Amino acid sequence: MSSNYSDFNSTFTEDGGPTVETKVVSFYTPLLYVSILVVSLAVFASHYRKKTVQELSRLPSMFDESVARDLYYELKQMSESEETKVHEKVLKAALLNRGAEAIRRTLKLKESEPQVTMLYKNGSVGEEYWKRYQNEVKLVDLEFKECIQEAEMMQPGWPQLFVGVCREICFNQALKRRYQAILLRKDVFAVQWDLKFDDNGRLLE
Amino acid sequence: MSTDLSELQYNPNSKLLGLPHSSEDVTMNISQINKLTQDLVAETNANFTPQPHAESTAMIKKMFENGLKQTQQQKLADALKSINLAIEMAQRKRTTWEAFAVQLQELQFMLKNRVDLCLVQGRFMDALQDLDFLQNTGLNSSDVFIRKTDALIKLKQYEQARAECERGLSLDPTNVKLKALLIENTRRLAEYNGDI
Amino acid sequence: MTQSYDYDEGSETWPFFVLAVLCVVLVPLTLMQAYEIIAAKDEDSSSQSSPLEKLSEKYTGDQVKRFRAKFAPKKSKLLARRNLVIIAGWCMVAFLINKIGSNGAIKDAATLLFDPYALLDISASSTDREIRSAYRKLSVKFHPDKLSKDLSADERTVLEEQYVMITKAYKALTDEITRENYLRYGHPDGPQATSHGIALPKFLVDSSASTLMVLGYIALLGFILPFFVSRWWSKTQSFTKKGIHARSASYFADRLFNFKPSQVVTTGLILNWLSHAAEFKLLYPDLTQETFESLLYDHINRRHSGELETAKLRIVAKTHALLFGLLDIATTFRNLEISTVAIDTFKSIVQATPLTSHSQILQLPNVDAKRFEEGSVDDIRTLGKLFTFEDEKIGKILGIEDETKLRETLSVAANIPHLKLLRAEFTVPGESVVTPLSTPHISVKVLVRSAKHKFFTPNKIPDELYKEEQDFDSLRDPFASLSNQPALPRTFAPHFPAKRSGCWCALVVLQKDGKVIQTPMLVDRLSFANLNKDFDKRTVKDLEKEFNPEEWEIGTIKIPFSQPAPDQKGDYYFRVIVKSTEYFGADLDFTLPMMVRELSEVEGAEKIADDSASDEDDSDLEDDEEDSNDELEDDEDSDYTDIDTDTEVEEN
Repeated sequence: MSSNYSDFNSTFTEDGGPTVETKVVSFYTPLLYVSILVVSLAVFASHYRKKTVQELSRLPSMFDESVARDLYYELKQMSESEETKVHEKVLKAALLNRGAEAIRRTLKLKESEPQVTMLYKNGSVGEEYWKRYQNEVKLVDLEFKECIQEAEMMQPGWPQLFVGVCREICFNQALKRRYQAILLRKDVFAVQWDLKFDDNGRLLE
Repeated sequence: MSTDLSELQYNPNSKLLGLPHSSEDVTMNISQINKLTQDLVAETNANFTPQPHAESTAMIKKMFENGLKQTQQQKLADALKSINLAIEMAQRKRTTWEAFAVQLQELQFMLKNRVDLCLVQGRFMDALQDLDFLQNTGLNSSDVFIRKTDALIKLKQYEQARAECERGLSLDPTNVKLKALLIENTRRLAEYNGDI
Repeated sequence: MTQSYDYDEGSETWPFFVLAVLCVVLVPLTLMQAYEIIAAKDEDSSSQSSPLEKLSEKYTGDQVKRFRAKFAPKKSKLLARRNLVIIAGWCMVAFLINKIGSNGAIKDAATLLFDPYALLDISASSTDREIRSAYRKLSVKFHPDKLSKDLSADERTVLEEQYVMITKAYKALTDEITRENYLRYGHPDGPQATSHGIALPKFLVDSSASTLMVLGYIALLGFILPFFVSRWWSKTQSFTKKGIHARSASYFADRLFNFKPSQVVTTGLILNWLSHAAEFKLLYPDLTQETFESLLYDHINRRHSGELETAKLRIVAKTHALLFGLLDIATTFRNLEISTVAIDTFKSIVQATPLTSHSQILQLPNVDAKRFEEGSVDDIRTLGKLFTFEDEKIGKILGIEDETKLRETLSVAANIPHLKLLRAEFTVPGESVVTPLSTPHISVKVLVRSAKHKFFTPNKIPDELYKEEQDFDSLRDPFASLSNQPALPRTFAPHFPAKRSGCWCALVVLQKDGKVIQTPMLVDRLSFANLNKDFDKRTVKDLEKEFNPEEWEIGTIKIPFSQPAPDQKGDYYFRVIVKSTEYFGADLDFTLPMMVRELSEVEGAEKIADDSASDEDDSDLEDDEEDSNDELEDDEDSDYTDIDTDTEVEEN
């Protein structure tokens, strides 16, 4: 038990000034206070961490679609459910397609890295975008490792060749896509430039 | 964000996949998988490598040379058809995993010839798109710029022609043909802008 | 020293506290307001007037005028509110000062200060002698023994107290100990009783009101303050530094990231991206993205949107910030096609004209589009070409029959600024050549001309007119001279919901890979004086005689360069595109080499040029090469001779 006690040291007499009250404070009060504080902070911290992890997983991917991956798993499911027998070469083809897509994404992320960093540094884009980008880099890396694992499961010892082959497939697919876009571009430009062509592709005045 | 693949169809005989009414991305991926399946079916070696196949190279080359011969004989329309066939054959016969460098060079070479044939026959838009393709795939030599400027002038897009010509000159400042094209384009631009 | 706390029953302290808080808030606010008013007046006087402004007003539709009346004066509303707050605040201050002044207790406290000089009735800077003489005089008057016997007891005490004070005053100025006391405590008797007070009246702290006070504080600190802070924080977080919503910026960045290079960029694509903006959704949560897109198309095609007309005008007004945000992101992703089409879409929205090959003509008012497209004999696509015809013929081409309307249309067409390149170069301030690793900027001399003016080549303008002031300030900040040019006048944009002046966006592209290298620089200062000149291409017959270069005003555009010059000598090519956000046909596009040279070479070449005094360019080039070769040879020789001498020394 402690009490507040003060000494007077005035130059003139005290004439019934307000008396200082003493309050009885238990020994455990400060301990209780500190413990409540610490416990509430700990609860808050764990809650907050769980929330951020949840948010991160709910963030949309930077890529518009995940078709290659979904197709592979759909085919795998189809072959495992035994209702329609999917030939193993089709499954292999789906895996190669998926691997090529994963390589395309790693390259795309790497080439965009300086630009995304600059966007974030200039404040042109919000915090969320930056988080999504960092998340995506990790996810794509994980995805490629999964591909290699599946390849190993499908054909033991294949992964070494698998990576090299996937690279070639990735570039060749890009080339073919660009080549096939030519027809569409012709139409768009013809409209934009107000031009008409005859059947032989010659300009009609 | 997973795609809706509930309607995925599989044909066990042809081993091809199909999905009606699907988006552009899904159709693209399915056709890519189908091509890979066909390549894998034709491939006997389980440990295949990116090594290009010699027979494909020979066939494509033969078709292409056929086209060149027809060009020399001035049968230009037929020549164009032959070269188109050669390109189609390359797209069909070559497996997706054959060396990219080889496939790219082959395609670029055939396209360069196609461009010249198109320009001669007055098919400027076709030539322009092929030239755009060549530029996008890394071919930045002066003759690409010369032909592109020419095609753009013929299509009356003088502003773009000027931009292309200037870019060509910046990569090859002493090119005589480009300088001549620039002068001609400036004249046409002045007329377009009513400055003459 | 007591430890008692007095409450502020006599209103002695709290007025000062409130006064201080009010002043802290009011003084900066008043200053800010005054500054803004002055700055606004300056702005108005410095920007140029243009016939387009009046015409734009004339052609503005009722719908748009009503919209402006409703939404534009937000600024003055805010001003009015702020002004009221300031006036109210100063009134409070006046009231408080009055209250303090009339408060007796405060006055007493103030007058209880001990001032020895006042007591002795001398000035503050008196000498010891004067102090002593003053004391003697006063002590004579007030000494208790000298007082007259007729005084009452009270009067006596007062005079005795005064005498005590006078003695103390004298002591405070002369006696060592007393003086110390005075200096330290303000009173010769030593430390006085100081009272500590709480600046609150008693009723607030004691009894029931105290719990209310405590609850009030808890509410303020625990709930109200965090609420306002978090609301402010989330508001700042939700907008990017470029002024668009973070979600819109993310959307644009996503589109650019996933952009396939084979895709052709059209204004349709940009409008589709714009319609996904979060700002639109926040304004109109009930409308869908498709609706927003159709509203934008309605605006561009000048169609009425029925009951969604106000919504359309509001979202069109928002596209200004969105397009600048998109442009910023596109240039950071180095995509040239998207950047240029975004600016073209901007033009399209400002003029409410779709981007076609005839946009330059269709942006003019009163044009009958059908008559124009069917009728044209020659394919007229540019304003310059249009002005090669006589006014009457133009009326027929554009399908305008009314005399006044034709005159107004021609006035608009003649006042649309076109940029003509006179000269452009990379310069390093203070140096004659671009050296490796220096910081150059691009200096462009342009001529703002009308489509009606006769064309003349840049070499008709003599060199002296290009000279710029090269003083110390311009070396330190080469961009300061740009502010000497007047701000751009109002754009002719009768269909755009707000009045605008617009700008040009300058993009710099590396020719080697055809990609943008830095974010755009906005040009909002150029003189349009040339547009008033009468140099009609249809009437000027002899260019040599009628052209006087002095009459034409040369505009300057300076574009900062974001990277240092490369460290290798050589020629590096860049393409500069200056696109207007307001009018079709007002753009500039040219290639510019950066010639990086070593400084020593240039000086050597200049010396030789002076000596030989030859005019031909070729020989100068040869001299450059010869000079550099000579230098190399000299170095080699000296190395060789060094080695020789060394070996000789060693042998010895």
